[in-house]
This record gives sequence, structure tokens and C-alpha cells, in this order.
Amino acid sequence: MTMFLQSAFYVAAVIAIISTAMAITRTVAVHALLYLVVSLLAIGVVFYAMGAPLLAALEVIIYAGAIVVLFLFVVMMLNLGGEARQSERQWLSGKSWVGPIILSAILLAEVIYLIVRAQPAGGIGAMVGPREVGLALYGPYLIGVELASMLLLGAVVGASHLGRSAPGRTGAGT
Amino acid sequence: MTASDMLALLPLLLIAGSSVAVLIAAAVGRNHAVAFGLSLSGLAASFCSVFFVPATQVTALLDIDGYALFFFGLISAASFAVALLAYGYLRNRDIDKEEFYVLLLVATLGAMILAASSHFASFFLGLEVLSIALYALIAYFGDRPLPVEAGIKYLVLAASSAAFLLFGIALVYADLGTMDFARIEHILAANPNPNLTLLLPGVALVVTGIGFKLALVPFHMWTPDVYQGAPAPVTAFVATVSKGGMFALLLRYFAQSGINRFAPALLVFTIIAIASMLAGNLLALLQSNVKRILAYSSIAHMGYLMVALEVGGAIGASAVVFYLVAYFIMTLGAFAVVTVLSAEHRDADQMEDYRGLFWRRPVLALVFTAMLLSLAGIPMTAGFLGKFYILAAGAAAGSWALILILVIASTIGLFYYLRIVVILYQQPGDANQPLPLRMPAASLVLAALTVILVWLGVYPSWMLQAIHTAIGSLL
Repeated sequence: MTMFLQSAFYVAAVIAIISTAMAITRTVAVHALLYLVVSLLAIGVVFYAMGAPLLAALEVIIYAGAIVVLFLFVVMMLNLGGEARQSERQWLSGKSWVGPIILSAILLAEVIYLIVRAQPAGGIGAMVGPREVGLALYGPYLIGVELASMLLLGAVVGASHLGRSAPGRTGAGT
Repeated sequence: MTASDMLALLPLLLIAGSSVAVLIAAAVGRNHAVAFGLSLSGLAASFCSVFFVPATQVTALLDIDGYALFFFGLISAASFAVALLAYGYLRNRDIDKEEFYVLLLVATLGAMILAASSHFASFFLGLEVLSIALYALIAYFGDRPLPVEAGIKYLVLAASSAAFLLFGIALVYADLGTMDFARIEHILAANPNPNLTLLLPGVALVVTGIGFKLALVPFHMWTPDVYQGAPAPVTAFVATVSKGGMFALLLRYFAQSGINRFAPALLVFTIIAIASMLAGNLLALLQSNVKRILAYSSIAHMGYLMVALEVGGAIGASAVVFYLVAYFIMTLGAFAVVTVLSAEHRDADQMEDYRGLFWRRPVLALVFTAMLLSLAGIPMTAGFLGKFYILAAGAAAGSWALILILVIASTIGLFYYLRIVVILYQQPGDANQPLPLRMPAASLVLAALTVILVWLGVYPSWMLQAIHTAIGSLL
């Protein structure tokens, strides 16, 4: 069982390294993003194999989901107009999607295999479920959670201020 | 978390609470004076609470001991001065003003957390709270090119250095299985020859993250540009509160985690100290912009502090803390003068802005002279005594090489400080230069800082007493 989990861990780790290397060497931003998604998914599988299903889920939801969607928004906003359609056609032509597809397929097979084969309490380390994470966050690390909220407050206020006083906009404020 | 824990957190809660209060008040109705008053009362309340708060360890994350309380007081007093400077600076500028105070309070909270951190988790969170607020503060005037450039530079470099720091923390954790400074010391004491394969790279990466925030050579590249681009009150904040909080953490980390018992770590710190002292002072010689000169001078001052840190023990630690207090006073004073002289669309950072200042604003010129002489380490000022304590600490430990370089570097430094002083007293070329607006709040700050500067330089025993009490809880 441990052997099996360890091999799952190493396969996912290798995929993470390959896809990250591909992400930083691509010249087209959208291609890099595809590999970035694969890299984040692979790290999710790594967490899962190590016995942290909650972290795996968060990795997929927050990073591969929300943050990459934000990236896509920016890329699309920077490519408005008629040229955009032309360049989007170029991005999707060719074999650029083959690499990410193969890597994600391996990951998918791995996850299915893990779910089917592994016992509920499987993992290389001790199993850390949502309950344990919640107890740690709202027990000994409560101050950390509160600090994170102050961090977000500062970030929101700063972002809203900078967004309103962007260059080219005059008469900001009262 | 018990009631006494909450009481111990009071200085932090007051700062956090007042930032939320400013935000809510701004949501009801924008009013510069209300935001300013709320921030000042929050900072003043936090400063006063330091004197009666019980010293206790609050969870594993924060160690609110006498040392942390001392820095809470220092940081809230410095932020109070920055808020006073900012009021006059922002008043005549066409920009939203309330957000500035929210961000200032959030950044102050981050620096305080750093001073009290006894755990890598709170260290990292405090650093990020401080940094995120600083990105926005540095680029606060988003319609001008220089602040935006400075903000982006700081954002990119601070974010990547935070990544280094995080990776270093992960390596230390992977090796020792704990992020608590005291438990790291416990593990290292039980095992005098630990496996250094993961630990040393981890410590090196943590030092990279810390070195960036302190602008130690070779992590100093951002400093001159950010100092130049940021609004003058924010520059004062970056130079004092941000660096002071980080240095408080470094001293605690050194004292509590026992990381300095490894020869390679000490060697790295020696190299960083020497490089910072020499590079800071030599590069400052080449500058003609007052803010950039002060930036390079702050790099050199961090180098002096590293010398005292290396010495370690009670004498080294008190030399560090005393020098930090002196550094806070003289740096705030210098940037307060820059703030007062700044015009509406441009900060007073050119040498020409200071030519013949004595003949136009004699008191201001005298105050600036006092601050510069203190930065140079001339007797009768706090800066001289601070440097004297560092030299005494170094001599007690027999680190003669470091002392020699400190003396050489200070001598080089004398040159560029005196160059500004000479310009202050030259006859003005253009007598009709418009006088900058008066800022009563900033004048108050300048008067108070000058008094404390000379007071500490002549009669430092009350401060030394407070520092000894603070250090006693650390070692």
C-alpha cells in the first residue's frame, strides 16, 4: 500500500516539475497557463497522496480554479479587438494542447486509481482531514487566521485605492 | 485564549480596531480630520497600553514579553509621528486621504506582529501584512510615474523575497519538524551536530528574506528607487517602522533559536555587515538626490546594526536596541524635514531645494543639521552614543576587524552628511524661491524629535534602563 502511494506521489511530483518547466519556457501566455493549470493539479494530487485531501481540494478549487481564471481574464482583456480572434485561432491550432492533455490524463488516471484502490485513511503521512485543519486553525493558530483577515483588509483597501487613482484618471476623490 | 491573553494583545487590538474604525468612518462620510484623529488616538492608546499590559506568551505564535512591548511602544510612537507628517503632506493634495491612514495602521500592525513573533507562521503573516499595506502606500499617488515605478519595484522584489523566505521556512520545518523559535533552540541544543543539508539552505533562504526587508547588501537594490519614489512620509515609515520591526524579529530569532551557533551562519552575517557598511557609504557619495543619499545611508546603518547583532549576548542586544531607537529618531527627523519642504507636485529631494535653507527657514535648517550630524555620529547626539555602544560591544567581544571597518565606513559617511550641511548654509542663489507651506503638525514632530535626539545624546540612562528591562525578558 505504501509502495503504491509512494509511486503515485513520485509520478505526480515529476508531472508537476515537467509542467512547471514547460510553463516558464512557453512564449505564448495562454500555452504557459495551460501548463500552469496542469502543474497546480499535479500538486493537488501530491497532497492527496500524502494524506491531505482537504489541501488537495483547496489547491484545485483556489489555484487551478479561481486564480487561473483571473489570469485568463487578464490575458483576454489585453487582447481585445479584431487581432484577438486571429491570435486566438493561432493559439489553438497546432499541437500546443497535446502536452497538457497527456499530463492531465496521467493525473486523472492516477486520481481514479487512488480513489478506487486506497483505503479511506490512506496516505504516506498521517491522514489530515478537514476536521483536524479546522481545529488547528481555530485553536492554536487563531491569531494567524485573524492576521490573515487584516492582511486581506489591507489588500482590499490598497487595491481599491490604486484602482481608482490609476494613471490617466484625474480628479480622484474629494 | 484567556482574558489575560486578550489583555496582552491590547496594543495590537487597538491598532487593528482603529484601522477598522477609520474605514467605517470613511464609509459614513469622507473627512480627513476624522480619519487623522481616529488614527492618532488609536496609536496613542496603543502606546499608552504598553505600560500596563501583562507580559505573557499568547499561543505559540506571539510572545508578548517586555522586549515585544518595548518595540510596540517604539513602533506606535514612530507611526504616530508618520501620521502627523502625513496629515500636512496630504492636506493640500488632490487625492483620497482616508485610505492612507487605514493602510498606515495595517502596516503598523504588521511591524508589531514581527516584533512579537516567536513562530515562523506569525513571522510570515506579519511580514505580509506589512508588505501588502506598503505596496499601496508607496504607490499612493498612482497618477504620478515615480511612485508607481517604486511601488511596482517593491512589489516584485518583496513578493519574490517572500517566496525565498517561505521556501527557507519550509526547509527548516522539513528538517526540524517545528516552526517555533524556542523549540528550534531546544532541538539544536539537544543535538549539537545536526544534519545541516536542509537546515543551512533553509536558514540561508530565511536570511535572504530578512535581508531584503532590511535592505542589507546584496539585497539592497530596491532601496534608492523606493525611497526616491515613495511619498516622503511613507519613505520615513519604510526606513523606520518596517526595518525596525524586522530587526526586532531578527534579534529575537538570533537570541531564541540559537541559529548563531553555526560558524557558516556567522560568517555570512559578517560578510553582509561589512558589505552593507562599505557599499552603503561609498554609494551614497555618488548621489546628488537627498532621498537617495538617505537610502544608501540607511543601508550603512543596517550594517552597523549587524555588527552589534554579531556580538550577541546582553551587551550586543542592548547596543542593537539603543541604536535602533537612535536610528528611528534621526531618520524620522530627516524625512520630516524633507516632508515639510516638499512642494505639491514634487518631493524636496534635489540638493538645490536645500541650498541656503538656513537663510530662509533657520530653525528647520538647524533641525536638519542636528539630524544629519546624528546620522554621521557626532557627539552630543543619540547617533553618537548609539555608535559608541556598538563599538564598545564589538571591543568587548574582540571583533576588531568589524570595528575597524565600522570606523572607516563612518568616516566615509561623514563626508556626504557634511556636504548636505554645507549646502544648507550657503547663500541662496535665488532669493525669491517660494517658501513651502507651513505644516504645524510636522513642526511639532520636528521639535519633539530634536529634543529627544539631544536628550538621549546627553542623558541616555532612562532609555538604557528601559532597554535593559526589555532585553532581560529576551535572553
